[in-house]
Amino acid sequence: MTKLVRTTLFAVVLAALVAATAHAQRTVNLVGWAIGPDDPAIHRAENLEAAVDLMNAALEERGADYRVAIETDFETVSWDDYRRRILLGFESGQAPDIIISSHIDIGTWADAGYIAPLDDYIDRYEAFGDIADSLWDFVTYKGSVWGVPLNPEARPFYFNKKLLAELGWSDEEIAELPERVRSGDFTWRDVIDVSVQAVEAGVVEEGHGYWHRPVNGPDFWHTYYAFGGRLQDEETGQLVFTRDAALGMLTLYRDMVEQGVLTRDLINMPWNDWHRAVTDGRVLFNSAGTWTWAQWALEFGMGFEAVEETFGHALQPAAEPGGRPNTLSQPLAHMLFAGSENLDVAAELLSYVVSPELDVRALESAHLPVLESTRALPEFVEDEFLSQVVYMLDYTTAQPIHSGFGRYSDVFFRAISAVEAGQVDPEEGVEIVVDELRRALGDEVIIE
Amino acid sequence: MRSGRPRRPEAGESVSTRRAGAHLRTPALFLTPAFVVIALFFVLPAVVTVFLSLTDLSARTMTNPTFVGLANYEYILSSRWTPIVVRNTVLYVTLTLAFNVVMGLALAVSTSLLPDRIGNGLRLLWLLPRITSPVIYVLIWQALLAPAPFGLVGNLMGISRNVVNAHPWPTVILANGLIGASLGMLIFTAAIRSIPRDLFHASAVDGATPWQTVRRVVLPLMRWPIMFVTAYQTLSLLASFEYILLLTNGGPGFYTTEVWSLWAYKEAFQSYVGNVEFGLGAAMAAVLVVVGIVASLVYLRVFRFDELLSRPKVEVN
Repeated sequence: MTKLVRTTLFAVVLAALVAATAHAQRTVNLVGWAIGPDDPAIHRAENLEAAVDLMNAALEERGADYRVAIETDFETVSWDDYRRRILLGFESGQAPDIIISSHIDIGTWADAGYIAPLDDYIDRYEAFGDIADSLWDFVTYKGSVWGVPLNPEARPFYFNKKLLAELGWSDEEIAELPERVRSGDFTWRDVIDVSVQAVEAGVVEEGHGYWHRPVNGPDFWHTYYAFGGRLQDEETGQLVFTRDAALGMLTLYRDMVEQGVLTRDLINMPWNDWHRAVTDGRVLFNSAGTWTWAQWALEFGMGFEAVEETFGHALQPAAEPGGRPNTLSQPLAHMLFAGSENLDVAAELLSYVVSPELDVRALESAHLPVLESTRALPEFVEDEFLSQVVYMLDYTTAQPIHSGFGRYSDVFFRAISAVEAGQVDPEEGVEIVVDELRRALGDEVIIE
Repeated sequence: MRSGRPRRPEAGESVSTRRAGAHLRTPALFLTPAFVVIALFFVLPAVVTVFLSLTDLSARTMTNPTFVGLANYEYILSSRWTPIVVRNTVLYVTLTLAFNVVMGLALAVSTSLLPDRIGNGLRLLWLLPRITSPVIYVLIWQALLAPAPFGLVGNLMGISRNVVNAHPWPTVILANGLIGASLGMLIFTAAIRSIPRDLFHASAVDGATPWQTVRRVVLPLMRWPIMFVTAYQTLSLLASFEYILLLTNGGPGFYTTEVWSLWAYKEAFQSYVGNVEFGLGAAMAAVLVVVGIVASLVYLRVFRFDELLSRPKVEVN
């Protein structure tokens, strides 16, 4: 190599280094985890990536010396696995900067100091002001805001219109059912009566009249609320267990099993089998979520047209004639890991996630948008299903934010399982729950 | 042959002292890796577990746990479910172990009586569940036992029940047993193959039937492999819960198929939402450690393990 070539090469490298230094730009690398677990909710992770583009454009405009990058992960397996991963991440200091999880996780994670309070950021960025006021209650705990809400939903009571027609219901009667539920005219006892008729008429098999969810989760509490139950004392924040409501609910399920409405093998059934039976038209009534609508259409291959032809939706029925029907919402929340080195950047990124063009993607998984301005967009107005169910938010209920609620929920779910399996009667089930709650939660729970 | 016992060293005998040290050096060298592994992966975790069990460590108190003494143990003792979970654990370990050992022995003996090619093929088939991932294995069971029209068993028998819920215990024991039997099968087959052929020839010359050969020749020579499989599987079953977790999750109902290790796992790591109690889970795990040590000591005594390690009465040089 001649001296000239060497000198030229050296000059080129030097010039490149100088140029690179002159335009040195930091990249802040963030990590974000999201969960479906249903596939159509992939937009939760994709929105974080899209928000990075929006934020980088804004950073460029204001001449900032850094850009943002994000690595996302979308969980489709189970909430248990997801929460365990997050917990291990917290313990090892390797949790992601942004965590999307249920609003009810806030209690434990805030108490433990794993997540950061967001009050300052909420005031700092105007975009957060567009979020519907009622949603902030879901993410407020001990006077602070701990999350930015996303994807609120309702949990409808679905009925199979084709099976009701087979049972002899006229189109008008079927069309009137949601209103009858709303007015408290069609109650849980009517669900049993109609199901018994359907089994006797051979429209559905025994045990396929009504199905609740097969595993532990939120969809039991609306029924508990319907029977007059309370979960949390508003003043003290303590958990509450209402014996009569629990007894009413367990008696309802016991009667459903004994009268051949609910199969005693429902608990622990794999979700896929549950959805396949429902989408195959083998179950008359079921309780699920608004997102299930998209799941049936996309994941279980029905297509939206067939889903609309097959299923109708109403509020969860009242316990007694004239009683109040209801539903339950469990919005998710973006939370920030308290140990993150990039809290400010992550919080700013969330202000881009709550832009209407990203918020509207909630519709893809049949969830509701969080922004007032998104609800005015044509995409939302023209979405027949969501615009039909949005009224349910007026009847919605929530689970308590309390770190003892996981144990409370586990104990009550075991009681449901035991009553349906015929292991104990409802009265015994309630007493066992009371004993267990007192033993496990002590003063943190009020038994009434 | 030199005696291994060193002469008592006298004052100033530095050479002999060095020799005595050298005498210990080789065994120490060979034993050190084992000691390190045992210390790191058994003693240390066991000590940490006991230490954690004396605290209220949970997801909520992770940053600030407090010492609670024996409160976690008192909590376990006062639970109405403790006797039920203990009974379940005994039932699960005993029945699955019996299935594993008897089935493993039957498979080893029967496949050894067959020509090698067929015997090896059958053993390979029995190994399939073991080399399948637990989740896939359980998914296959669930698919077979799901209610009709999805489940094969339900379809064949014309029942529309979920067999896992209808018969949780037989399902749990069979699902575990079919996997566990393959370990016994391999070890017993190896043991049968190591029996000198002369003994089989001699029994054939004496006119023994196959059953008599098994009863009088094979089984008496299988004591140590049976001891190993029994002891190993007992400890392994005490700590295993993954198939129960995936199949029944301890249900249906209140703790119907919940075993001790599953209970501990749930207390320490699993909750639908909210707090998980590591301290309580550690106390449950500590109980399991003690039970495991006691069971090992009992096995060593019952099977007279010292005889296995004693010097042979006849030594061939």
